[in-house]
Amino acid sequence: MREKATTLYLGPQHPGITGNMMVRLKVEGDTIVGATTEVGYLHRAFEKLQEKRNWLQSFTLMCRFCVPETDPMEESYARAVEAIEGREVPERAKYIRVMVLELARLASFMLWYGGQNGSLGLYTMGQWSVGDRNYILDLFEELTGGRVYHMYIWPGGVRRDLPQGFEKRVLKTMDYLEKRLDDYDDLMFDNAIFKKRTQGVGIVNKEKAIEHGVVGPVLRGCGIRSDIRIDDPYEVYDKLDFEVPTAEGSDIWARALVRRQEARQSIRIIRQVIDMMPGGEFYNKVPNPQKWTLPKGDAYVRTESVRGEIGMYIASDGGTNPRRVHLRGAAYVHAITLLEDVLIGENIADVSAIMNSLGTCPPEIER
Amino acid sequence: MQELKQKLTANIKAAYPEIKEKDYPGNRLDFTVDKQYLVSILTYLKESLGYIHLSHIACVDWLEEGEFEVIFILWSPEEKLKVFLRVRVDRENPVMPNVDMIWRQANTYEREMREMFGIQFEGLEAPEEFVLEDWQGPPPMRRDFDTESYANETFFHRPGREDALDVREEIIKRSREEIPDFAKKYSR
Repeated sequence: MREKATTLYLGPQHPGITGNMMVRLKVEGDTIVGATTEVGYLHRAFEKLQEKRNWLQSFTLMCRFCVPETDPMEESYARAVEAIEGREVPERAKYIRVMVLELARLASFMLWYGGQNGSLGLYTMGQWSVGDRNYILDLFEELTGGRVYHMYIWPGGVRRDLPQGFEKRVLKTMDYLEKRLDDYDDLMFDNAIFKKRTQGVGIVNKEKAIEHGVVGPVLRGCGIRSDIRIDDPYEVYDKLDFEVPTAEGSDIWARALVRRQEARQSIRIIRQVIDMMPGGEFYNKVPNPQKWTLPKGDAYVRTESVRGEIGMYIASDGGTNPRRVHLRGAAYVHAITLLEDVLIGENIADVSAIMNSLGTCPPEIER
Repeated sequence: MQELKQKLTANIKAAYPEIKEKDYPGNRLDFTVDKQYLVSILTYLKESLGYIHLSHIACVDWLEEGEFEVIFILWSPEEKLKVFLRVRVDRENPVMPNVDMIWRQANTYEREMREMFGIQFEGLEAPEEFVLEDWQGPPPMRRDFDTESYANETFFHRPGREDALDVREEIIKRSREEIPDFAKKYSR
C-alpha cells in the first residue's frame, strides 16, 4: 500500500549551512520524494546598489556576497575591473593576492569541517576547527584590519603592504595547522559514524554533473579533474606547483576526501608563494575615484573558491558607475536545480549533510 | 590559442553564416547571434564542439538603445576557450527561447531574469517567484526602476522619525558643517 506524501518545511534556519534558505520536502515515511528550494530570505539587492555607486564604492560591497569566504569575490571584482580598463597589477600584489586567497580558502575549509560534521551531529570537530580558524583570522586582522570582511584586494593591487615579519607568522601558523589537519583526520575520517552516514549518500555522478553544470569539489568528487586555477590560470597560479585531488564515489565521503587533500594543497601553495614573494610596488594607483571612468566594454572572470567556480560578469558603459555587475557562485547552480534532483530518494536526516556537501551558501544565491 | 579560435570561428560560420564574431585578447571569443538560432547554436556548441560547461548567463539593460542584451558564456575544458554568445531582445516585448533542456542550471538564471528584468522565456517551467515575495512593482533590475521613489511611494515613515528623511541634511543642520563638493551629487 502506498503511503500518503506529507509536506515538510526544512528551514529557513538549520544546521550545516551559512545563511537562511528553505527546502520544502515531500516525504513518504522517512524518504524524500520531492523537493523545492525556496530562497528570498537574504536578498539585499547588491547588484542594484552597485549601479548607483562608483567603481571603488561598489568594491566595498563585494566581500559581503558570501560570508564564509569573502576574498574570491573581491579578487574577481578587482580582476574584472582591471580587465576592462587594461590596468597592470604589480607582481608583488599578485603574490600577496594568491596568499590571501589561499588563507581564505583554508579558513573556509575550517568552517566546512565544522559544518559537515555538525550536520551529522558530531560537534567536537567544529569546536576544534573553528577554534583553529581563529589563528588565520588573527593573521587577517593584522594584515587588513578585519577578521571576516577584509576589503583588501582592490582594483590595481592590494590595499597595503605586508607588515614586518608577517611571512614568518604565516609560516608558523601553517606548521601548526598542518599538524592539526592530522588530528582532524583521526577525528573525522577514522570515525565509523561519519563513514556510515556519508558513504553512498548524496550521489552526483558524472552525467548529472555535466547536465547540471556542477563545479569545484563536487565535480572532482566524481573523478573529473577540473580546477580553474589550472585550466584558466589567474594571478600567478600558473607559476606554482600543486596538485588537484580527485576521488571516485561521487558521494559526500568522496567530496570530503577531496576537500581534505585540498586543505593540504593550500598550505603547500602558501609556502611556495612566501618563498617566491618578490619585492617592489604593491599597488598601481587608480585615479580620483569620484572621476574614475572605465572604457565601454565588459569582462567575465572566473575564480576557484572553496565551493567551486565563481563567475563575475561586469559591464561598463563608459561612466563612473558599473552598468551591470552579476555574480554567479557555486551555490547558484548547486543549491537549486541540483539539490532538488539529488534529494529525491534520500533520507530526511541526511538533507543538511547533503546541502553542506554541495556547498550551499544562500547569500551567494540571492545577493 | 589563435588556431583554435580560427577553427571554432570557421566551424560556426559554416553552420551559421550571418553570425558576427569579435576577437579579444586571451582565451575569449565573442559571437553576436539572433535569438531564433540560439537553441540550435547552443546545442551545436555543446554536442559537437565540446563546449559542455555553461558558465554564466548575464543580462544587461541598455535602456538608451531600447534593448536587453543577454550573454551566454560557455567554457570548453578541452580547448580552454571562453565563448560569449550575445543575444539582443527588444525591451518592449522581451521574449526569449528557453534553454534549460540543454543545461538544467539555466533554469535558475532564467527565473532570475524573468523576475528582475521581466524577460519571458517560452515554456519555462518553474515556480513564479524566485527571490522577491509578493512583488507588485515593475521588474526591479531594469534601469528605469527608481529605487528611491518606489520606496517613498510604497512604504511609510515611522511616526516620530520624519526628521530622518534626509540624514545628511539633518547632520548639517545640527553640526553646521558644509557638504563637500564631491558629496553633493549624492545628496537630495
